[in-house]
Amino acid sequence: MGPDGAPGPAVPWRKVLWERQPFPDNYVDQRFLEELRRNEGIRQYRYWAVVKEAGFVGQQLSCVAIFITLWLYMEQSLLPPETLLWSSLICALLGYGLHQALTSRVESCGEPRTHLADLQSAAIFLSFTFGFSPVLKTLTESVSTDTVYAMSALMLLAHLVSFPYAQPSPPGSLSLNAALFASVCLASRLPGALHTFAMLSCALLVFALWPCLLQTLRENAPVHFTGVCMGVCIGGIVGLGSQTLGGAVLLTLALASVTLLCPFLLVRLQRHKDNIHGPWDEAEIREDLSRFLH
Amino acid sequence: MVLKIFFPQCCNRAESGLLVGRWISGHDSAVVLAVIHYPFIPGQVKQYIQQMQAQSGVELTVLGSWSLPKEGQESMESFLRDLSTIFPQQRWLQVSRQMGKMGFICEVVNRNQNGQETQQEAKKQNEEEEEKVIFVHYEQRKVMLSQLHPTESGDPDPNTEPSSELKQVFQTVARSQPLFFLDRYDDGPLKSTHWQSEGREASIIVELLKQASVPLCMLISWLLALWTWICNIRIFSLYPLRFLSSKLSTCVQISYRTEHMRTLSSPKPAAGHKQFMRKGNILVSFLVDVGLGILLMSWLYRDDHIATLANMLMPAADHVAKELEELLQWLMGAPAGLKMNRALDQVLGRFFLYHIHLWISYIHLMSPFIEGILWYGGLSVCLGLTFALSLLSDMVALLTFHIYCFYVYGARLYCLKIYGLSSLWRLFRGKKWNVLRQRVDSCSYDVDQLFIGTLLFTILLFLLPTTALYYLVFTLLRLVVVLFQGILHLSVDFINSFPLFAMGLRIFRPYRLAEGVKFQVLCDEPGTALHLLMEINPLKCSTVVQTYRTPTYSCYPRDSWAALVKKLFVGELIYPWRHKSTKAD
Repeated sequence: MGPDGAPGPAVPWRKVLWERQPFPDNYVDQRFLEELRRNEGIRQYRYWAVVKEAGFVGQQLSCVAIFITLWLYMEQSLLPPETLLWSSLICALLGYGLHQALTSRVESCGEPRTHLADLQSAAIFLSFTFGFSPVLKTLTESVSTDTVYAMSALMLLAHLVSFPYAQPSPPGSLSLNAALFASVCLASRLPGALHTFAMLSCALLVFALWPCLLQTLRENAPVHFTGVCMGVCIGGIVGLGSQTLGGAVLLTLALASVTLLCPFLLVRLQRHKDNIHGPWDEAEIREDLSRFLH
Repeated sequence: MVLKIFFPQCCNRAESGLLVGRWISGHDSAVVLAVIHYPFIPGQVKQYIQQMQAQSGVELTVLGSWSLPKEGQESMESFLRDLSTIFPQQRWLQVSRQMGKMGFICEVVNRNQNGQETQQEAKKQNEEEEEKVIFVHYEQRKVMLSQLHPTESGDPDPNTEPSSELKQVFQTVARSQPLFFLDRYDDGPLKSTHWQSEGREASIIVELLKQASVPLCMLISWLLALWTWICNIRIFSLYPLRFLSSKLSTCVQISYRTEHMRTLSSPKPAAGHKQFMRKGNILVSFLVDVGLGILLMSWLYRDDHIATLANMLMPAADHVAKELEELLQWLMGAPAGLKMNRALDQVLGRFFLYHIHLWISYIHLMSPFIEGILWYGGLSVCLGLTFALSLLSDMVALLTFHIYCFYVYGARLYCLKIYGLSSLWRLFRGKKWNVLRQRVDSCSYDVDQLFIGTLLFTILLFLLPTTALYYLVFTLLRLVVVLFQGILHLSVDFINSFPLFAMGLRIFRPYRLAEGVKFQVLCDEPGTALHLLMEINPLKCSTVVQTYRTPTYSCYPRDSWAALVKKLFVGELIYPWRHKSTKAD
């Protein structure tokens, strides 16, 4: 018996099982699937908004490209390590100042980090890196070049995949560690201990401190954030292009596909979405239970 | 209802008389111990039996009568039947035999409560209501000396009866020794037939030894008391000396032998079969040990072998050191094409080379005294071959002490590295070990922690092959030394614990250690009872060894193979042989 069957007896059917009814247990009437809802709560993406968000991913890709460019320059001894060190220091100070300026505008709740704590962190970084750089230099002496390149590439890929794009400020452990591991592998290939030290400081700047600044920028000055992302992308392409043209072309293609093609695909495929909801779903607690805590 | 009568073989041709023995309670059987001949006075027989019962603790009774009429003697059937009234019993056996025939005829007279007699004859075997009688012939001397296994552990209460019939038979015969001392040539009121010993005159050497053993035991126990007093002087109980003496196998062996001597020198005779065997084993293995030791000593001191050995020792130690140096040089290069970190390699290699240099200087310092030490040390070999082996093991341990040190350094370094690596690998993935819950949890780290953690992880990871190689090499060396020492200890253990006395007894007097009995049909004629011959089944050699092994500080592997491999992999220090401490027996 289905909804199109012969009309049943005079008693209407009720959707209960604790009462004996003259209908079989699996009987349904024409109100079957009345409560089915399709695509409830679906978001309508707009193309340019998605492109703007995807720009962040492209930005990170270009960061990695910039880092590799710097390494290539150092390896070919075109860039002296002192220059890199001083410019890293200046960039760090500038970035710190910017960060402070942006966050002082917003009253943040909770304990802010004092300048002393930041200085202490910086001192620990620098001393450790400087102390370990002779050891780090000899680490991959006996490993073949291909292995080193393969390991670094793998680690940088892991870094890109596991990067916390939604909230980059407390850095994800795996992404940061993978990036640092790759930078140590690459830095140990450089000609001198000072080169290693400079490279590692640069890596710290690019992978650990730059995302914090980006986070504050995104929160406090979203307009400028997009501009910065685009600047970084262009910088990456130009930098890589000065070393290898093929690399630059590859990077452009990657950036284009990530920032322009993928959002397009997402918006196009959105219309094929077909989710069904109904009273058979798992219950979700929407109430705010924090009132029970006090 | 089958009645079993255990009949001694020596009484097969005895003259007519009374059967003396014991009924086995709980089973339908009787053991005949002796035959008392005519003429006798019943009162004297009863007195004799009571005296024997008091001396031996066995419930002796008159079982019945035995008649073997010679030519010309009338049968004394009616006289024998009348005897049953003199010795009132529940059951009375009348056994008779004809000369020339093999089988016996047995009549059982049962006396029920009212005192009336009922009589049943044993005829053919297919008549079921009548009582059948089986005669089991046994050789009295062998059963008296034999011990049935498995023996009860500990001291059984002599008054409780063992449940098995065979055990009761053996025990009865063994305990009735006072009965067998009555000699057939004695001029006493009673004449009996049973097993006779050859007389005390034949074993005069054994008697002399027994007499001499008492003062010898007292001398040994006095010496032992002196030795124990020396050992317990306060100065020897300081911690380093005590620790050292527990590690040196010579000291362990000395303490072990002292224990043995104490067991041997107790003036009381052995209580129970197990004590006796234990003492015998200890004595024989000690004598064999000392004999072998004296042989070795005579070889050592002849033809100036000691000087040869001493002269060989220095070059041997030098050779070992040189081999080690070459090994380290090879490791400091690029061994087997492995990727070693050069700086760490050099550091470790130089560190170990310096140690070897120290060791060689020490050995050269000691070299003038080596011959003297060997000469005096060789004197102690007369205490036994086990001492020689223990001394050898200790000397090997001392000479390879540097290998042990290297192994400990390498293992500690490796263990530290593995531990650090595993902890930092967890940090790499953003996880942490939760000590409370004993599991891995996620954790949000600070940037500083992440940075330093990653640096250290990279360093440790790339230095791992170097450390692992050094660890591997020194572990292998250490395992070789440990294996050699283990073989020495196992042989010492073997000499200590192998029950030579018990094996000798098993080979030369197999009836002394019995596992069971086997029966052979002697005579199965119709009209007479069934006759079986009981022969003693000796214990298997493997069971002898297992039962009579002297418990020693047996040396056996502490870990299974899987646990050993896991320990090696993690870098834990391994001490593969475990010594069980001597248990007080």
